[in-house]
Amino acid sequence: MTNEFLVVLPILVPLTAAVIAIALRRRHEVQAAWSFGSMLTSLVFAVLLLADVWGQGRPLVFQLGGWPAPFGISLVADVLSALMAVMCQLVLAGGFLYALGCRDQCAQYPMFYPLFLLLATGLTGAMLTGDLFNLFVFAELLVFAGAALTAMSDDRFGAEAAYKYFYISLVASIALLLACGSLYVSYGTLNMADLARRIAADPSPPLVLPAMAFLMVFFMVKGAVMPFHFWQPDFHTAAPTPVHAVLSSVVVKLGIYGFFRMTTLLFPGQAELIRPVLVVAGAVGVWFGGLGAVGTYDAKRMLAYSTLGQLGFILVAIGWGTPLALAAAIVYAFNHSLLKAAMLMLAGSVASRAPVKTAAFDVITGVGKKMPLAGVLFLLGGMGLAGIPPLNGFIGKLMLFQSGVESQAYLPLAVIGLAGIVTLVYVMRAFQRIWWVPMPAGAKTKPYGDRLIAPAILIALSLALGLWAEPLLRLAYDTVAWLSVPEQYVRVVLGG
Amino acid sequence: MIELFTALAISALFAIGVFQLLRRNLIRSAMGVAIVSNAINLFLLASGAYRGEVAAYANLAGQTARQPSDALPQALILTAIVIGMGAFAVVLALVYVLSLRYKTSDSDEVKGLRH
Repeated sequence: MTNEFLVVLPILVPLTAAVIAIALRRRHEVQAAWSFGSMLTSLVFAVLLLADVWGQGRPLVFQLGGWPAPFGISLVADVLSALMAVMCQLVLAGGFLYALGCRDQCAQYPMFYPLFLLLATGLTGAMLTGDLFNLFVFAELLVFAGAALTAMSDDRFGAEAAYKYFYISLVASIALLLACGSLYVSYGTLNMADLARRIAADPSPPLVLPAMAFLMVFFMVKGAVMPFHFWQPDFHTAAPTPVHAVLSSVVVKLGIYGFFRMTTLLFPGQAELIRPVLVVAGAVGVWFGGLGAVGTYDAKRMLAYSTLGQLGFILVAIGWGTPLALAAAIVYAFNHSLLKAAMLMLAGSVASRAPVKTAAFDVITGVGKKMPLAGVLFLLGGMGLAGIPPLNGFIGKLMLFQSGVESQAYLPLAVIGLAGIVTLVYVMRAFQRIWWVPMPAGAKTKPYGDRLIAPAILIALSLALGLWAEPLLRLAYDTVAWLSVPEQYVRVVLGG
Repeated sequence: MIELFTALAISALFAIGVFQLLRRNLIRSAMGVAIVSNAINLFLLASGAYRGEVAAYANLAGQTARQPSDALPQALILTAIVIGMGAFAVVLALVYVLSLRYKTSDSDEVKGLRH
């Protein structure tokens, strides 16, 4: 069974590459080529992993150090983990491509690419691990790399954004450690499969509910869900474009992944307690994010608020919890990752052409006149976010509304359905400000800006998945079929 | 008896830590992070402290009937201490940069991103 190594490779390749990239720091071109090459290699391994897991119809488990579960640390790739890993690596590779062609000073720093690779390691590891404490370690790696990348931003407020992000993430990590301790006292294990088995057998220990609450706090902070969102818009205004394109699209999906795991694997018996919270937080987030995006002064900040809204849709779907709703959440999450990363890159490239490097609307008014291709891409991406065909966003939203009708949740359906219109409002407003309104007299754009190849690839991918959605839909339905039988996951991880 | 003292110590550290963490002063809130992470370490230790009688590293196979203690919480704490130290260092570094840039230690004055 050499296939098992596929589970560890998407984590190991970026980690090793980061160490070697530090050694290459004196030669910038070599370092960039090496880092991008290893990022692509890692993406290939993640795709192979997904193909293997999906094709064989069973999760792959790698027991680190050869210790059998539940004594050692298990890395588990079921279809959900593998799909999330592919999604993350895809957007990370896109972010890398953008960083190669971007004119930010910070992308020239010797530590930029190693930190980016460490970010990839932490994110992929957090998606693939089968152990709660290991999740803490990978999440910390992710936060350290993300905060450092933000602090080195060209924007003079980078350090402030990094401080806010790091501080709130530390509090989230404290919550995760408290959950680990509570679960360890109650069940004597931190392996997720073993925990799932023991919680299902005996949900009575008094610390189970606090552990659930702490885990929810952790995933809500990671996912920037409504009451824990406050670090997110500030962060996106100041971080370097390649970094926040990745952080706003895939890093917040760690929270989404966590809610999937909580409701289907760890606490399926107590899911009735979690789901209403998710529906309410999601519905409030949809409106809060939408209205926040309409009222903001900066294109990047607008897209950050829009992330809050779009994540709200996904949370509502997880909260409904029917198979169709879960499949819709997976499709929606995949599609949002591609589109939001592309939109943020477009906003960043517009900002790079602006007279002063910022995405504030009063500076970038009319800048788009010089970059028609970016305008087309932005319009396509905006249509995808709002859920207009032919982009993939339409399919996710259609499935979501179908599942709402099916589970007869008409009130939340009406709430989020109306909010869908708000998406159109803010996207069109940004499009008008940047591409329709003439430039103020005397303002001059820079002749060169960031390259558009990375957002073009991501939008093209989303368009392809919209026109030919069959494979992704089948993948989502298969994932949900797997998620509905947590016993299989437990059996494969624990052996026997 | 020792259980009670451990519980009191954890709660006292938590109370002091959270109080400092919520202060406006940047340095005090950084101290709060360090104190809370120590409270967490003690909490993790308490989750396995009362099982077994012999140290986990002692190799006494067959020589004694006494049960070895649980090694896993200790491994968790070692990891958490290292990560906590790194996190504290990064927080201090960021506070240093902020204090240079904003000439203040009051977190309410650090508001360059708010309009």
